[in-house]
Amino acid sequence: MKPVIDPRLCKGCNICVYICPKKCYSKGTEILEAGYFTAVVSSHEKCYNHNRQGKLVCELCVLSCPDQAISWHEETEEEKKK
Amino acid sequence: MKIAPGEYFLQGNEACVQGALSAGVRFFAGYPITPSTEIAEGLSHKLKGADGVFLQMEDEIACISAVIGASWGGVKAMTATSGPGFSLMQEAIGYAAMSETPVVIVNVMRGGPSTGQPTRASQGDVMQTKYGSHGDYQVIAFAPASVQEMFDLTVDSFNYSEKYRVPAFLLSDAEIGHMRGLLKIPEHIRIIDRKEKGMKRPDEAYDVPDNLVHPFPVFGKGHKTMITGMTHTDTSKIEPEDARVHQELVERLSEKILRNRKDINKWELMCPGSKTMIVSYGSASLGAKEVAASDDRVGLLRLKSLWPFPEEPVAEVARNCSQILVSEMNLGMMYWEIKRVAVENGCKKVELLSKIGGDPPTPSEFRHRLREMGAL
Amino acid sequence: MELFEFYRKDRWPHVFCPGCGNGTVMNCFYRAFSELALPLDKTAFVGGIGCSSRIPLYINSDALHTTHGRAIAFATGLKLAKPELKIVVFTGDGDLGAIGGNHFINGCRRNVDMTVICINNNIYGMTGGQASITTPHDFQSTTTPYGNKEYPFDLAEIAVAAGANYVARWTTRNVHELAKSMKTALQKKGFTFVEVVSQCPTNFGRRNKMADPSQMLEWFKESSIRRDKDKPALDQVDLNIEGKVTIGEFVDRNRECYEELIGVGKHG
Repeated sequence: MKPVIDPRLCKGCNICVYICPKKCYSKGTEILEAGYFTAVVSSHEKCYNHNRQGKLVCELCVLSCPDQAISWHEETEEEKKK
Repeated sequence: MKIAPGEYFLQGNEACVQGALSAGVRFFAGYPITPSTEIAEGLSHKLKGADGVFLQMEDEIACISAVIGASWGGVKAMTATSGPGFSLMQEAIGYAAMSETPVVIVNVMRGGPSTGQPTRASQGDVMQTKYGSHGDYQVIAFAPASVQEMFDLTVDSFNYSEKYRVPAFLLSDAEIGHMRGLLKIPEHIRIIDRKEKGMKRPDEAYDVPDNLVHPFPVFGKGHKTMITGMTHTDTSKIEPEDARVHQELVERLSEKILRNRKDINKWELMCPGSKTMIVSYGSASLGAKEVAASDDRVGLLRLKSLWPFPEEPVAEVARNCSQILVSEMNLGMMYWEIKRVAVENGCKKVELLSKIGGDPPTPSEFRHRLREMGAL
Repeated sequence: MELFEFYRKDRWPHVFCPGCGNGTVMNCFYRAFSELALPLDKTAFVGGIGCSSRIPLYINSDALHTTHGRAIAFATGLKLAKPELKIVVFTGDGDLGAIGGNHFINGCRRNVDMTVICINNNIYGMTGGQASITTPHDFQSTTTPYGNKEYPFDLAEIAVAAGANYVARWTTRNVHELAKSMKTALQKKGFTFVEVVSQCPTNFGRRNKMADPSQMLEWFKESSIRRDKDKPALDQVDLNIEGKVTIGEFVDRNRECYEELIGVGKHG
């Protein structure tokens, strides 16, 4: 599973950037829909849950995000190969 | 659990307990305070197990808060206190008015201000009942003057608070609360329950016209009720910045009571055609009743409900008499409202017999004053 | 349970500031609640006044938004009138420990079945950043411009002393443990108390050189010490007297809950 940020909800607080133990996130450089510098998923392949289904190992970002902007999505076939 | 119909010799506070039980009270939260403690003690005996819940809370603010919470759980809930506790409850009373929660608050008034005279009567809280909390709101308040009325008006307090979704007050005092007298409990007592959202009413005749009172959404029935003290719309959306929403809400809270004064107000009239009328309530009217009963030069309008202010009976009396003597056990509170209505309706001479210190004005004191006024 | 089965979609998105810990606490609570598969229609949420007390208004269930400090008193009445309801109270440090102090300690003592989540952001956030009873000594706030001269309460230790059946404290840095504690608290009978030390970057962090929420989270990480529930409180370090906060599960006991003591219905 990979994390995805909903740009309509993210307020650019960057807690995900700070909290992720594998440094999967980085600070955003563009102002998106909600009017903030929305954070970005810079490398989802480093995530503990990469190519994992069922029970997830680490959910620090999803649980920490104050705006419920992060959710888990199934990787595409391309992404699974990374 | 409650006593059977019949005749009893009881204390005023005990009669209040019986009235509450007859009306269907199932939750009482109280704090000991003279002269109301007997009500808490009586209900601590009766409300147990399946009959209901009795709680002695840590302070009066907790009492009134718990009573409001219990009302949202769907039960008839009540607290009883006196002056100092009543002052503490004011914020929550405003909350009950704003959130339209049916609750009954008994205030067995005592000498004030502050700790004052814990064991002596006064009528010093009558204005506070209507104006004690901040902001504009209306309440319903009754003033018993006998042990029988401690029963009857407690039942009425529950009925009206349920019908109008508003806090209702029983304004007793140390004399009425502690006196002993005859109580007749009838076979049939009219009980009104709140109009609950999602439930068919057994008797639509009890409903308030003009849709001013909305159905009550009891918690735990899937209504997803949201209750708040903040300014809110009909769908409970919080909108404190919206002037129109605020006006509509606060005006409706007043209108639902003021437009239904005729349904709510209660009074007793003796010798209504007299040139001199005494207007009084509660303990202060005890002496007046004796004077009016023995002399038809003087009549008595005894107010049994104080809020919403009973404009109509006072206006009617003022139109037909030439002078009014108001009597209360405070330095003049309802006097100003009564005088306003009387003067507007043609009776310009409105005097005050005020007595503080704990003793109700005696028949002699009334006669003395009436002689000074030229009535006797 | 789906996200918008749990939250009210028509009130979304919530008004909390960027980086506010309230959203984090909501996530952990939602996780705990849905893992337990509790019925939302038989749960009622009660809040006082303050940012964290607004959380009940976002949840798709019965909610009672009460007066400042009195949430536990309202919840007591609601619970005892309708024992089959599960009651969850969301409150803040000032709402619970300052104006609500009396109801807090008596609620723990009385042990009515309810779960109280106190989001402790060490400040009165909603009103603009005044000092609270948990503001650390010497810290800045709008009412302590020369540094807070007072010392803070330790809310969790007060709950232990007052008799709550389950007491835990975590920070918003410990999301997994927090969700687990909330699960325990929801399942346990009696008064269960979870304190969450949470960041208010807007009104606390910004005035105390921690404007970035990550800075506050780093501060929580550095200043927290795990408290062992078997060790008595005196052996532990107290909140903010030396600038540290103890976290962990403090007590897990089985005092009879109030409903059992008075013989009222079933509890949620």
